[in-house]
Amino acid sequence: MAKAKGQIRPQEAEILDALARAVDLMDEEGAVAAAKRALDEGIDAYEAITKGLSKGMALVSDKYEKGIYFVPEILLCADAMYAAIDVLKPHLKARGGAGVSPVVIGVIQGDVHDIGKNIVKLMLEAAGFPVHDLGNDVPVSAFVEKARELKSGVIAVSTLMSTTMPGMAKLIDALKAAGLRDSFKVMIGGGPVSASYAQKIAADAYGANAMDAVRIATAWQEVRA
Amino acid sequence: MTAEMTPKERMGNFLSGKPVDRVPCVPLILNHAARVIGVPISEHATNGSTMGRAHVAAWRRYRQDLVTIFSDTGILSEALGTRLHFPPDDVPRFKAPAVADPSDAGKLTRVDPRRAGRLPVYLEAIRHCVSEVGGDVFVSCCISAPFSTAAALRGTAVFARDLYKNPGLAHDLLEKGLELIEDLSAAIIEAGGIPVLVDPVASGSVISRKSYEEFAHPYTARAFARIAALGSVPILHICGRTSTIIDLMASSGAAALSVDLISLAEAKARVGNSVCLMGNVRPAETLLGGTPDDVRREAAQCLADCADSPRGFILATGCEVPIETPPANIHALIETARTPR
Repeated sequence: MAKAKGQIRPQEAEILDALARAVDLMDEEGAVAAAKRALDEGIDAYEAITKGLSKGMALVSDKYEKGIYFVPEILLCADAMYAAIDVLKPHLKARGGAGVSPVVIGVIQGDVHDIGKNIVKLMLEAAGFPVHDLGNDVPVSAFVEKARELKSGVIAVSTLMSTTMPGMAKLIDALKAAGLRDSFKVMIGGGPVSASYAQKIAADAYGANAMDAVRIATAWQEVRA
Repeated sequence: MTAEMTPKERMGNFLSGKPVDRVPCVPLILNHAARVIGVPISEHATNGSTMGRAHVAAWRRYRQDLVTIFSDTGILSEALGTRLHFPPDDVPRFKAPAVADPSDAGKLTRVDPRRAGRLPVYLEAIRHCVSEVGGDVFVSCCISAPFSTAAALRGTAVFARDLYKNPGLAHDLLEKGLELIEDLSAAIIEAGGIPVLVDPVASGSVISRKSYEEFAHPYTARAFARIAALGSVPILHICGRTSTIIDLMASSGAAALSVDLISLAEAKARVGNSVCLMGNVRPAETLLGGTPDDVRREAAQCLADCADSPRGFILATGCEVPIETPPANIHALIETARTPR
């Protein structure tokens, strides 16, 4: 996946570190400045994202899990990350998409809470997955339609509300009915969702948080490759 | 052997520290009431007489110890200009904020809760319930606390950023929210109801203790000071995690705390000496998804953990009873409170 490994120069390491730190410290201006420096120093844009920004988001995620950061902090860290990505994006070389499963992501119908979903999306994108974001309040039929278009990949669906959880089971049934269930791995997540619920509705996995979602998608990727 | 108390006698005695015949039980029957009379959720949300009829019918079916009028946490912000949309059979959703641009904050005016937005729906529902069943049960109305109200004026994600990027604006919106809450509380009390503050956005699942301390706690405390001055009982419900803020919640002036994702044993140990606790059968897993036996088992555990809390305990759900909850599960919860232990 990554380009041929060269030695990381001290200066490059320092810039990657600055990218990670700016994200971790909610410093949007710092992230933009570090991204510009990365380009000036000839650092590959993809590496700046995966080894700099997403490392920063991993620190953020860790702080979230430890109860140091909460939603406002995560949003501001994400803002810093996106601002740097905007600088880097025009310089991303086409990666050919070889072997990288597309991920369809959305919040199930009846629920408009999408902060968590957006963070998962962000982390998946940072890890290199092409993400198709269907937004929030997404009907089962929209997931199925997108799945049909993509033919295979990952579906990540979430809800923050207990009342809309049954929509996830309906999605699994609808994928089966459409003959798409075997072509897609389905992961579910969100506040009231649990591993046992995933098992109950025969989803493939439960993602407890954004990093977990990336770990799972990556593991599926490696099995497939 | 004395006769069973009415829910009103029980809650009245309970809240004033007098003896009661059993632990009070208050499943948070909110939008589920619409199902009891078979009306769409949007009609319950927009028609005061329908909402009132629904809650009267729900109380006659379940005889819980408190009627809890509620539609959605957007209704206060809506009265100040936030726009919502109304799916036919689901709760109203956020559509566009009252304060899209920070400069819009200056345009927010003080509104009359008897006229603004759908607030008259709540007031009519309260009056209806009080006139129909108010002799036997207290009628409460759940309204968003200042933090959740301000978040809905701005859009939650934008407001979350304001806490860091524009704290002055956040405080302005909190003041506006507080003003409406005070006015609405007075109108609720005048209609015969008890205002209950609910603050889902200020939950420990969403914001840090530090944010809660600066942006939620002082405004909630001021709202409760007003509610107490109006002669009512301050009750605070925060769903999600509350372990990080339970001590602050207890020092807000609230007489009772309704909690969700915190162990009742922990809540009792930390704040049981200063406030009454209320909780916390799991709404989704147990009430919606479980059997009546599952409900009884979990409710019995809540009682075992917290019924001996020094300032009292009310058996309740951790959050709203899901709309499609099987009635048998709600009955099972109330029976558990009724069964001598």
